[in-house]
Amino acid sequence: MNDADVSKQIQQMVQFIRQEAEEKANEISVSAEEEFNIEKLQLVEADKKKIRQEYERKERQVEIRKKIEYSMQLNASRIKVLQAQDDVISSMKEAASKELLNVSHHRHLNLLSHHHHEYRNLLKDLIVQCLLRLKEPSVLLRCRKDDLHLVEHVLDSSAQEYAEKANVDPPEIIVDNQVYLPPGPSHHNSHDLYCSGGVVLASRDGKIVCENTLDARLDVVFRKKLPEIRKQLFGQVVV
Amino acid sequence: MDPFKGQGGIQMLLIAEQEAQHIVSNARNLRTQRLKQAKDEVEREAAQYRSHMEDEYQKLISENTGSSGSNVKRLEEETDAKIKNLKKSTSKISSEVVDMLLKYVTNIKT
Repeated sequence: MNDADVSKQIQQMVQFIRQEAEEKANEISVSAEEEFNIEKLQLVEADKKKIRQEYERKERQVEIRKKIEYSMQLNASRIKVLQAQDDVISSMKEAASKELLNVSHHRHLNLLSHHHHEYRNLLKDLIVQCLLRLKEPSVLLRCRKDDLHLVEHVLDSSAQEYAEKANVDPPEIIVDNQVYLPPGPSHHNSHDLYCSGGVVLASRDGKIVCENTLDARLDVVFRKKLPEIRKQLFGQVVV
Repeated sequence: MDPFKGQGGIQMLLIAEQEAQHIVSNARNLRTQRLKQAKDEVEREAAQYRSHMEDEYQKLISENTGSSGSNVKRLEEETDAKIKNLKKSTSKISSEVVDMLLKYVTNIKT
């Protein structure tokens, strides 16, 4: 081998080394670009998905909050209507309760014998009704102090009427002169117990009580007629 | 063989090999940079996308606020109308009901 051949061979080897390197570099470059695009697409898609899910969650929360808020508003609205319903019914009962005073305001209407007799007869009927229910030969009676003279006035006729209706001997009616039912409501005792009129009868042993005050009767009538009243006011609508 | 000439040839080959390593090494560095660039571009696009989604979200909140306010207002109006009707009904039948109650209170069955 001469020098020229050696030199040529070395040159070829150098050329080969460079070519190999450039091919490898090119390969790396091409795969880098592919990798770049794939990586980018994957990452972009993953990030977008994450962001989209995040905002979908936030939007769902907005919807939920909106529904909760509306539900609370709706509930408050219903309660408000129900409260208004209760208020009007209570006001009716209160109005009726105030009217009870007119039934028994005999003191100030002594000169109006019609009203006077009306309440007196009412007391007699209340007493008779209690006697019929108690069916006792001897009973205790309590009334308002203001009503005492009226009660004493109708005591005998009540006993007699009961005796005739029940076909028994006239009962003994003991009027309690120590303890009275509270007086009617007024501005002074607006928070105290009160009695608008009527009587309370009890068996001698006190175990059976017939409460026939006007207020107690109003409570019973009111409770009994409440469905009818509500129907008149609210129809069939259920809030 | 001339010893000098042999060493010169080896030297050339070594240099060529070094240059080859350099070329490949450069390519690898470029690849690394490119991948990092991919991440940077991804972050930029993600930020743009997030910004877009945030705008949509804020718009939704505004609409919902208006819508919610509208719903609440309608609900309040309906409620007030119901209560108004209730009071009208009450005033119509109130004295009638009171009379009915008093009638039963004072009508004693004996």
